[in-house]
Amino acid sequence: MKSGLFIATAALYGIACVLYLALLTRRSASMHRLPGIVFVSALGAHLAFLTLEGPPPGDIPLADISQILSIASLGIGIAFLLASYRFDVTVLGAFVVPVALMLFLASGLGSSYAPVSPRIESAVLTLHIGANILGLIAFALAFGAGVAYVLQERLLRRRQLSGLFQRLPSLDVLDTIGLRAVLTGFPLLTFGMITGTFWLLRADGSEFYVSQLLGLLAWGIFAAVLVLRVAAGWQGRKAALGTIMGFVCTLLVLAGYVVRAAGGSA
Amino acid sequence: MRDFIVVGLSHRTAPVEIRERLAVAPEQLENEVRNIATGAIFDEALLISTCNRVELYATSENPTEAIQTARSSLASRLPDAASKDVLYAERGVAVVRHAFRVASSLDSLVVGEPQILGQVKEAFDAARGAGTAGSLIGRCFSQAFSTAKRVRNETGIAEGTVSVSSIACELAKKIFGHLDGRRTLLLGAGEMGEGAARTLRQTGTQLHIVNRSEERARALAESCGGRVVPFERLTDELAEADVVIASTASPQFILTPELMRAVVRSRRHRPLFIIDIAVPRDVDPRVGTMDNVFVYDVDDLQQVAEENLAVRAREAAHAERIVEEEVESFLTWRRSLELAPTIVALRKQFGEVADEELRRALGRFQNLSQSDRVALEAMSRSMVNKLLHQPMMQLKASAGELDGAQMIDAVRRLFDLTNDDGAETEASVEADAEAIVTQLSAATASGSTSESK
Repeated sequence: MKSGLFIATAALYGIACVLYLALLTRRSASMHRLPGIVFVSALGAHLAFLTLEGPPPGDIPLADISQILSIASLGIGIAFLLASYRFDVTVLGAFVVPVALMLFLASGLGSSYAPVSPRIESAVLTLHIGANILGLIAFALAFGAGVAYVLQERLLRRRQLSGLFQRLPSLDVLDTIGLRAVLTGFPLLTFGMITGTFWLLRADGSEFYVSQLLGLLAWGIFAAVLVLRVAAGWQGRKAALGTIMGFVCTLLVLAGYVVRAAGGSA
Repeated sequence: MRDFIVVGLSHRTAPVEIRERLAVAPEQLENEVRNIATGAIFDEALLISTCNRVELYATSENPTEAIQTARSSLASRLPDAASKDVLYAERGVAVVRHAFRVASSLDSLVVGEPQILGQVKEAFDAARGAGTAGSLIGRCFSQAFSTAKRVRNETGIAEGTVSVSSIACELAKKIFGHLDGRRTLLLGAGEMGEGAARTLRQTGTQLHIVNRSEERARALAESCGGRVVPFERLTDELAEADVVIASTASPQFILTPELMRAVVRSRRHRPLFIIDIAVPRDVDPRVGTMDNVFVYDVDDLQQVAEENLAVRAREAAHAERIVEEEVESFLTWRRSLELAPTIVALRKQFGEVADEELRRALGRFQNLSQSDRVALEAMSRSMVNKLLHQPMMQLKASAGELDGAQMIDAVRRLFDLTNDDGAETEASVEADAEAIVTQLSAATASGSTSESK
């Protein structure tokens, strides 16, 4: 029953993905509400799945990579809906929803609990992971806007002004979304980094060496994007590319955990 | 039989000097259409007036005469020198098709331009305000609006603009989002630049003008509501502008990479959109490769315009098919309307005969019980219904066919229904008729099920 719900949720996400991509590539005014409807039902199924599949009582919340990914993908979905309502950027679903789908599918690969003995500060761990999930959600939106920005800028430079160019939002809107999302995500990521380091020292786990480095790299990239934006007025394509790189790094951190969960830990 | 006519002129038949003589200001439209309709032989009237067309739509029992009246009333306002050939006239289904094509912007000078639909809506509102839009015009034009909507949604006819100025404007919107409060810098006060600057000004951007001759710049600034800035301040102005329209007569590049590098630095990499409509060009092509600087020249814009026009031409064929579908559906409605009064009259005639006979028969049988009377009345009603069932089914079935009118004509002559109830008001007949059509279709549905058993 539960795995059936997982498959149903994944299928709905998949259909929503295809519909959002169709929305991007062809003019079909008659079905412009359809992707949203399918996507909302995917989120509904996801929520039901999370409720039924929730961790057994007594477990430390958010300590399981599978659950983290699942919640992150749900959060990205909800954040995207809010953003598309606020900025009228439904077409960005073509970039954001695949990320949500990917994280959701990855959450099905396997569980890996953080190596934590019950006595150790589990609250710090929960804070660390919670902040990172929220940061990830913000960066996912920034990533979607960034990809759209790079694409749109390229079309503008190459004078390919029909079709896709018409459907993508303006550069200004995309840049604004990218900036605000990174501004929101960065403090969360910073907080996540601090609590993570603190917890890691306490737990005395040095095995996350690569993930730590990648996390630091992602943090550095986002910091650079923000500093250059504010200090040097850096905006547009370079900022978008930086945001994309930063997000890919954070995804790699997660991928490290997933690989461990899928079998590496044994 | 009441039919549509249209008489008018458009960019296809008349030059602007003649069109402007006939044009009616929007606020005058209601009065004008009322004047035309009163006293004339039109049942309904609607007047469309744009800078590209003036057309009088009407319905009348006598279309031939109505066309003559409309023609002479429009012709009387033409300049004497103008040939009367500039006026065209259509009647019947051609009018409906024309109205649908006009509203869908298929007959426009620039196919797919969006303003016409609003103008037709204004014309319709004026006619309704004047009380000259009845059921036929009403139905025809509300369907014209839905046709236009379908054309817009289902084809790419309105996708992409086709004038250089509006393309520049669209591009600016795609870069800056909204243009409210942004600043346009017009470099050189030539005619080409003026057009683009005016279009941008209409979207709410501020306009600064830099020109070697300040006199010319001042004149332009006054007419567009801009500000003149001395040429020496060019670098500062470039740093603050969002859109630059370059149209000077300078033989060399004015915006060189060296100059622009400094500008980009001082504007802290804010995006800059440069439209170079000067020939020879004002902007060094290398400027176009700089980050956050987007340069479009005349050829680029022209090319976009041509591509968009080609797309529109392709999509227009698709749009014409939609128009045909809608015309067909309008005709079906029209035919069923003619059918409906016939059915009403036929039922009425049969009913009256039956009632009369029943009354006489009941008069002879004095000692019938109440239930017997009820049974007799029911029998009489059911006989009428059964006798009429098949003819009605056939009539209804023929309503959608092309020769539906012939069948209705035959029935009317067979039962001598021609001069029935002319006094009834049109609207109530139509309302009744539509109610009966729906009843009939319900009857048809139940009839077919009983047949299959």
